[in-house]
Amino acid sequence: MLLFPEEVTTTARAQAARRLWKSSRHLVPVITLLVVIVVIFSATTPYFFTTSNLIILLTSNTALWVVAIGMTAVMVSGAVDLSTGALVAFLAILFARLLDAHLPGIAALVLTVLGGAAIGGLVNGLLIGRLHLSFLLVTLASLTAFTGFVNLWSNTQSIPVASAVTDNIAFGHLLGMNTSILIMVAALVVALFVQTRTYFGRDIYAVGGNPVAARLAGISGARTTVAVFAISGGAAALAAVVEIGRSSAASPTVDNSLPLQAIACVLLGGASIAGGSGGVGGTALGVLFLATLGNGLSLSDLSSYWQGVVTGVILVGAVLLNRVSDGGLERSLAFLRRGTASAASPDPER
Amino acid sequence: MTAAASADGGPALLRMRDLAKRFGGVRALRGAHLTIPSAGVVHGLIGENGSGKSTLLGILSGQLTPDSGEIVLDGQGVALSSPTRALGHGIAMVSQEMANAPHLTVAENVLMGRRLIRSRWGINWGQSRERAAAVLDRLGVNLDVDLLVRDLRPDQRQMVEIARALSMDTRILILDEPTSSLDNHEAAALFEVMHTLKRQGVSVVFVSHRLDELFAISESITVLRDGQTVAEGPLAQFTPDSVIAAMAGPRSAAASPVHAGWSARAERPAALVVEELSSPRALNRVSLSLRPGEILGLAGQLGSGRSELLECIFGSRAVSSGTITMNGEPHRPSTPRSAIRAGLAFVPPDRKGQGLVVSGSIRSNLMSVATHGKHRLATPATRAEDKVIAEMVARMRIRLHDVEDPVSTLSGGNQQKVAIGKWLASGPQVIMLDEPTRGVDVAAKAEVHALLRGAAAQGAALLISSSELSELLGLCDRIVVMVQGRVVDEADTSTNPNEETLIRRMTMTPKVT
Repeated sequence: MLLFPEEVTTTARAQAARRLWKSSRHLVPVITLLVVIVVIFSATTPYFFTTSNLIILLTSNTALWVVAIGMTAVMVSGAVDLSTGALVAFLAILFARLLDAHLPGIAALVLTVLGGAAIGGLVNGLLIGRLHLSFLLVTLASLTAFTGFVNLWSNTQSIPVASAVTDNIAFGHLLGMNTSILIMVAALVVALFVQTRTYFGRDIYAVGGNPVAARLAGISGARTTVAVFAISGGAAALAAVVEIGRSSAASPTVDNSLPLQAIACVLLGGASIAGGSGGVGGTALGVLFLATLGNGLSLSDLSSYWQGVVTGVILVGAVLLNRVSDGGLERSLAFLRRGTASAASPDPER
Repeated sequence: MTAAASADGGPALLRMRDLAKRFGGVRALRGAHLTIPSAGVVHGLIGENGSGKSTLLGILSGQLTPDSGEIVLDGQGVALSSPTRALGHGIAMVSQEMANAPHLTVAENVLMGRRLIRSRWGINWGQSRERAAAVLDRLGVNLDVDLLVRDLRPDQRQMVEIARALSMDTRILILDEPTSSLDNHEAAALFEVMHTLKRQGVSVVFVSHRLDELFAISESITVLRDGQTVAEGPLAQFTPDSVIAAMAGPRSAAASPVHAGWSARAERPAALVVEELSSPRALNRVSLSLRPGEILGLAGQLGSGRSELLECIFGSRAVSSGTITMNGEPHRPSTPRSAIRAGLAFVPPDRKGQGLVVSGSIRSNLMSVATHGKHRLATPATRAEDKVIAEMVARMRIRLHDVEDPVSTLSGGNQQKVAIGKWLASGPQVIMLDEPTRGVDVAAKAEVHALLRGAAAQGAALLISSSELSELLGLCDRIVVMVQGRVVDEADTSTNPNEETLIRRMTMTPKVT
């Protein structure tokens, strides 16, 4: 059949290129924004575009990067995990206590990640996936409960940690690269593989896109939900260890802005709050955007309060830009014009 | 009561003329008329499912805007561009799905909107309650206005909705299949209320599938078929037979589908046997059996239990008693997963809501069932999948640009082919379909039918529920008629039954309540 193999390969290549363009079209706004702010900061702040600053930019956001990748799995499945901040603090104390019990660093790391996955999957995941409780309620409850636990367990005191493992993660180099940057790359590669090359990856999109259709196609929504919250819990554990490395102590202070920042990154990356869309590639760009914005603004002489205001405004603008690019804005404007009448109209065709 | 006003242009209360409305490729209305001769009449609207009734009522109540046509109220052209406008003209609708707030009281529901009485100190609850009670009195209904609506029976909730419509100075009240959720006794009470409304000068547009009801209460009727008004006028001009004939239309007798080798297959053991299956509020001791290669049709009105029967067999609806046997083995589906494992397939009626993940790619939708047994961390074999997908796309003639595009980019007919194809890819023994060609254009419909016949010819047993009788007559070997959760009739299509006999069986109210 293949009379002209060269021709077949070129069309296959053209098709692959077309697919890549189509599948990454929703990333255009965030890439554009990223390029714009990089250009602005490079032009206005001499120190910004230097190797040492870019390394700081990345290594100071490793925890957010990892948490945001876990959050992507949760959000594509149609939920949100608000408990991440409390879990990070709790798992940091767990890690420190495991080291105190004279466990080798690597074993403590593995146990902490498994513990995070178990808490995420068995507490959040089972309550949401199996008992069908609202994810907002469940993750808010576990946020509150684990904030309590972590303070009881640590007597609200930080635990100093001196371990080769955490020092290596924060400051070490591997293959001539900062270990924490390597962790970011590895996390992204694994997540991309799961997302695009496994049945589980497809399940997450199916469950988030249409839970009824997924159930009728024999996909277990409960199992998928447990798995995505386990991923989010495991990511929280990894973030906890990274943070310990940076400060050489396990802090019981809960940073509740962490899950909110992660949610912002996932949305910036083209996900919908309703689930079924988005992906870790977009999320990574979202984290880069937020990280660059924070880094650049703090290099400029803007007061930290103004930095918050600017970040908030730009976030809204970025998400609006996302909607313009899928034509969602036209739809919402048309909706405003037509009033509530269109909300009631049935639409049997599309 | 000269409803013949529709013909000569007399002063009718309401006149809807030459209405047309398309949804994508589907022409829901093309030249529909509806005339209400005067105030204080009950006007019946009847037609098969899909004939355009809901669209026509949607336009009259301001929820839909027609593509063309005119609406004349009291001799003046009006634009009913929103439900608020329609209400302003005194037109209110009580829909099939009751739209009330279950956690509010009867009084709050009746006066929903901005019509609770307010004084300087906020809402005056005493006066508001009195006003709500007065409206219910006007209907001759005795109901405590302080009860929560969730504690009411369905017929009482319906009264609350009617009372709400009346409290807005309604002149034309639309009741869309109000009796479908009522028993005979409750329906009689509703008719009392309709008589009361008539005396008070309110006109009622009454939609029902039950001919006996229509003949008991209407003064004039409109019959719709395929989006057109095919008959209208005073009820005296009609007999039940002439209404049925108008609904069914002069369609050519569908080609008999008796395919070759059918009698040989009759010897084979049944693929699916359902015995005395019951489900709360849905099914009442339903029995049927299905052989490999056979296509069995389920006919019945909405709420007759034909959809619910499929859900019970597929494990997505609770069964209270009865047995299901597949290929001689007992089948007790607890979830769709277990039903799929047993070799069942189910194409649900709502393509976007239940059948497909429309934001997902054509590839992932087509492969979703065939791969449901795989280990979740396994990697899909892209080459093998490509081959299966290419075969499916060719066999089903799915018109697409790229299998990685989201399903939402396809036309309705091609989406439906994906919704069916994802099941065929898994090689099921029994395929159940609910409304297999809803919202699909004529050409794609023929392709879907050919596909289903092909699946049967390859040995699958098909169970098809449809509200389109011509579809069932053209496709099925046998047709089972259901009314109110029971099987009331079975017809072999080789004996050439016609639409009229089926409609007659479906529109009879069973004696038992």
